Amino acid sequence: MKRSTLQLIVPGIGPRLVPCILALLLSVAPPLLSAAKVGAPAPDFTSAASNGKTIHLADYRGKYVVLEWHNNGCPFVRKQYDSGNMQRLQKQWTAQGVVWFTILSSAPGKQGYVTASEENDYLAKRQAAPTAALLDPTGDIGHLYDAKTSPHMFVINPQGVVIYDGAIDDKPTTDVNDVPGATNYVNLALQQAMAGRPVETPATRPYGCSVKYADATH
Amino acid sequence: MQVRYYGTEQTISRPTGGARHQNKKNLLDGLCIERNMRSSTLSWLCRVLTCGAALLLCAATAYPQASPIPHGTLELIARHPWISPGQTLDLGLRFQLDKGWHIYWVNPGDSGEPPSIEWQLPAGLTAGAIEWPTPKRFESGSIVDYGYEDAVLLIVPLQAAASLPTQPPIRIDAKVKLLVCSHEMCVPGKTELTLTLPIKSPPMLHVHNNVVRKQDVENEHLFAATSQSLPRPAPGGWRFNVADTSDLFVLSVNFGSEIAGREVTQAIFFPLSESQIENAAPQKLQPTTTGFRLTLRKSERLLKPIARLQGVIVFSADHSDSTHPDSNQSYIIDVPISKSSAARSSSIKIHPAEASQP
Repeated sequence: MKRSTLQLIVPGIGPRLVPCILALLLSVAPPLLSAAKVGAPAPDFTSAASNGKTIHLADYRGKYVVLEWHNNGCPFVRKQYDSGNMQRLQKQWTAQGVVWFTILSSAPGKQGYVTASEENDYLAKRQAAPTAALLDPTGDIGHLYDAKTSPHMFVINPQGVVIYDGAIDDKPTTDVNDVPGATNYVNLALQQAMAGRPVETPATRPYGCSVKYADATH
Repeated sequence: MQVRYYGTEQTISRPTGGARHQNKKNLLDGLCIERNMRSSTLSWLCRVLTCGAALLLCAATAYPQASPIPHGTLELIARHPWISPGQTLDLGLRFQLDKGWHIYWVNPGDSGEPPSIEWQLPAGLTAGAIEWPTPKRFESGSIVDYGYEDAVLLIVPLQAAASLPTQPPIRIDAKVKLLVCSHEMCVPGKTELTLTLPIKSPPMLHVHNNVVRKQDVENEHLFAATSQSLPRPAPGGWRFNVADTSDLFVLSVNFGSEIAGREVTQAIFFPLSESQIENAAPQKLQPTTTGFRLTLRKSERLLKPIARLQGVIVFSADHSDSTHPDSNQSYIIDVPISKSSAARSSSIKIHPAEASQP
């Protein structure tokens, strides 16, 4: 479709040149895509999940969706999983019909990169209960959302609009003892939105380890 | 070498950085340490071997070994090896990091966490805040962090009460928590450091014993060099202004009467607080007739107007006089924002009601 559109716009371009031009356009396309923004539609994506399924975000319109950026070796993530807090949140919210995607954007060779079966083992061992764990070793989804840290959390409402973007809570430390007294921003966003109220804190600075993206090529 | 960083960091073998463990002690130093650690045999040996002045020095200079931290070492040192009642002594956390690893500034930037210290001090001693040296930018795609690599000294002033009794020597304990990261992974660390120092008035004369005092001299030099490089208040004649436009802060620096021969070729602003500027956005430098302007993109997460822009600016200037003292010096920025227009209003608000939220 793109090919014919391009030929339509630029009639002088021969069909052989089109793939080259398209490739060129695509190579510069990612930075032009607008990242996820609070109040704006959540960018759609398609991703392989560790359970073998393919996930299209758009299929979950009508439900609240939580995105959790994950890196199993990151001390900030381990704080949430060692304390059982993340698993508790996953169970609590998925039981209420919320869709929860754990997203792994670590590149091969970097901390937090796992294969599908390693991730499935991890989920079982940790008794984690996301709807699915999405494998994003190229970092495409991470860059689409401008995910900066693990954990970096997003909440999307049933209309497909981002209603929260930021930290999991207000205690930016690696200390497990800080979990009980923390104000959890994901809980607040979901509770307030479900009650028909505005989300009081729609954006915070995400804290954690930097997402271990693949090094920029070229 | 292909390593999959799966699971805990304990499985990762540490490169043995030969150069960073330069803690060669002479025999006397070694014995002093053992004595300090109350190792009975060596303690006895120490007493026998070191008498008179040597014993005094021994008690005064109990150098701790650098403690291992993930991918480096950490040591608690003092500017000089005694505490004087009524005076301030600079203590320092001396980090030495393996190549490719960094720790974080007070504002870590887009990710990370600065080191924290929990002091355990006897009555009469009060530790101040960390004096953060000028950080470096660590860029990894769209993520920009602020921190330190290689070696860094974090100075903490220790105030001693005038009433401090001169006996016995005082033990200072520090529990340090830190996060060490590379572009590939992050590892948390925790260590407990100890330093024992005698209480006395400053000596009138240094005892000339090069063997024993070598490390003291090195420490003094290290503290002096670090203090010298700390961000400092800008000269009184300079004028600063921060203009607030919808998406940008424009920081203007006017050198006043000091402009002769100065052309700023590079400038970086480090924000003291998180979520004020977009760390990864390019900072556009424009020389002006009286100084320069630096354009900073506001953070997407800046939801409320801020009254002041605070941070550190580092710039390098071409001088007709290349020995000009302020080449690459860093200055403290604390400037009121001239127009208190609303913070980014564009797409952040979901509901109008939020604008009135406290």
